[in-house]
Amino acid sequence: MYQPQPDVLTFLDEFEGALNGGTIPIRTFNDSELHELELDRIFTRAWVFLGHESEIPARGDYVQRRIGRDPFVLVRGEDGEIRALFDTCRHRGAMVCRAERGNAALFRCPYHGWTYKNTGQLAGAPLLKDAYGSDLDKSKMGLHAAPHLESIHGFVFASLDPDAPSLDDYLGDARWHLDLIWGQYEPGWEVVGEPQRTVLAANWKAPADNFSGDDYHTVYLHRSTTETGIMENPAGDAALWDGYHVQLGNGHHFIRNMIPPEEPGPRFLGYPEEVQKGFSPTMQSEEQYEGLKHTVGFVGTVFPNFGFLCFPFKHDRSADFVTAMSIRVFEPRASGEMVAWTWSLCPKGVSEEFRQESYRTTMGTFSAAGTFEQDDSDPWMSITRSAGTTYARKVGMQVDYRMGMHGNASSRRVDDYPGPGVAYYSVLEEGGQRGFHRRWLQFMRSEDYPPKMTPEEQNAGAGVPGSNGGG
Amino acid sequence: MSSDATATEQALTRIPSGSPEYWRCVDFLIDEAEALDQNRLEDWLEMLHREIDYRAPIRVTRERARGLSFSKQGYHFFENHESLLTRIDRLSTDYAWAEDPPSRTKRFVSNFRVYSIVGSDDLTVRSNLLLYRERLDETHPQFLVGERDDDLREVDGELQLVRRLILLDHSILMTPNLGIFL
Repeated sequence: MYQPQPDVLTFLDEFEGALNGGTIPIRTFNDSELHELELDRIFTRAWVFLGHESEIPARGDYVQRRIGRDPFVLVRGEDGEIRALFDTCRHRGAMVCRAERGNAALFRCPYHGWTYKNTGQLAGAPLLKDAYGSDLDKSKMGLHAAPHLESIHGFVFASLDPDAPSLDDYLGDARWHLDLIWGQYEPGWEVVGEPQRTVLAANWKAPADNFSGDDYHTVYLHRSTTETGIMENPAGDAALWDGYHVQLGNGHHFIRNMIPPEEPGPRFLGYPEEVQKGFSPTMQSEEQYEGLKHTVGFVGTVFPNFGFLCFPFKHDRSADFVTAMSIRVFEPRASGEMVAWTWSLCPKGVSEEFRQESYRTTMGTFSAAGTFEQDDSDPWMSITRSAGTTYARKVGMQVDYRMGMHGNASSRRVDDYPGPGVAYYSVLEEGGQRGFHRRWLQFMRSEDYPPKMTPEEQNAGAGVPGSNGGG
Repeated sequence: MSSDATATEQALTRIPSGSPEYWRCVDFLIDEAEALDQNRLEDWLEMLHREIDYRAPIRVTRERARGLSFSKQGYHFFENHESLLTRIDRLSTDYAWAEDPPSRTKRFVSNFRVYSIVGSDDLTVRSNLLLYRERLDETHPQFLVGERDDDLREVDGELQLVRRLILLDHSILMTPNLGIFL
């Protein structure tokens, strides 16, 4: 097991003290020792999103994916089962899958020709009998595979830790919210096209932190989009705060914008009639059905590096608003480098016209070419730059996450949120981001698999209005 | 044919290098590159036809037998005239941070192949693009490399770009955003 340097353990102690006071050391966003520990303690343990089942519908279909920095092949085997195979030959360790996607009955290592079935099992090797006699047991020499792999509503997650809890336990109250969004559409959901990938000189936590409840940046960083009329903002800037922040436990978070319960709607995320009729009142609870009917849009994260976002936007200013759904992975590459992945997800069985418009709107807003995300890349890179500076380390520079602590913001904890989790209304607070970093800290310090973190524990330190102490 | 995703359906006839039509197309693309390099986006807009179809499909690493493997459904850019206009208007606000200060760019356009299209007055021009980009005081330059498959149409005596397919050589983009036009 990777042993952290004493300096790193001291840093993590300081990190906790800072977080309880509402700040975090900026060093967390660019430090190579911390990054090595993240790879070991977070990415070999957490349930990591790998892809959507609709990307590999047929037996033999595969796509290359990463868990942390490590290469895996997400493949539907000839037995129909989906596995995440470690793309490393058991003989010498060369890669056995060299295309980004495709369909294969076999994966062949180019070095000596060891060949594996799409289930991972060793199928054969040249001169096997002459070379090894009976010494090589093919049944024990298959490709390594992630010990845990589970899907929910087509989203495939894997964990490399044999001790990991079930995906359900890991998701906590995020499960209810995934059911809310993707568990009520009868025809199901599918990815359109292939994911877009872009390399950024940024730490993966910069966007993960952003997706965990940074509504505050919207009105300024993305002001170009409200000025150009491509973001729905009829009631002015104040309306941008009109929504819930919900801490879901285990570091997960949801931002949810809703119309008031007395308004009949239906909104169903702004989808057109042809999609709305596919939502079923019986697939989940009545609360979830009514909830989705009143939901305008959402931004969510599943710890550590999976994000998703859905809102009606305009790609073309003269056209109507079109619902965009962007699915994101923030792949770590180094302490100061990441790859941003973007998929567009669309309801199945819709008209080709809507499918294309929704795709264009997704990629035209929240992708590397998107009118929103172009500008996000700028601070994500410069935070990473700042975090790597000598001066920031010398003075132990802190960055500020106090918004909403001890009731300092107009946002308040509410008990009438229609769903589970610790909820705040409005979104003008930073508890979601503090919660992300709290779960990060817990993973980083735990030598064993970290215990469950309840929504209350995730929200620790928020305090109550009028109090000064941390909770 | 350029690629599986792009293949123009029409039959094309090569126009020899050095003919007046060839130079007219080359001049258009070089002037266009100059307008973009100088950030004269309004001038660039004037060079676009109202019916422009502007796309950059996602490149996927596939086995050799699969051809050049550009996505048939996935695009970095999937634009029409109105969406390009929206992008340009947004860039001209005071809040388009990723391009203010703007990138310093130079577009090197080369390997021109000009074709007439059977049954159409439009001309097809294929060219290679090497785009150099740097920002702020970054010293790691970014490159975007690809082929462009364009159709040019004459309107009132001037050529306009009516179709552009940008065939990038990157399966992972080596630039943090596409706040620039290709």
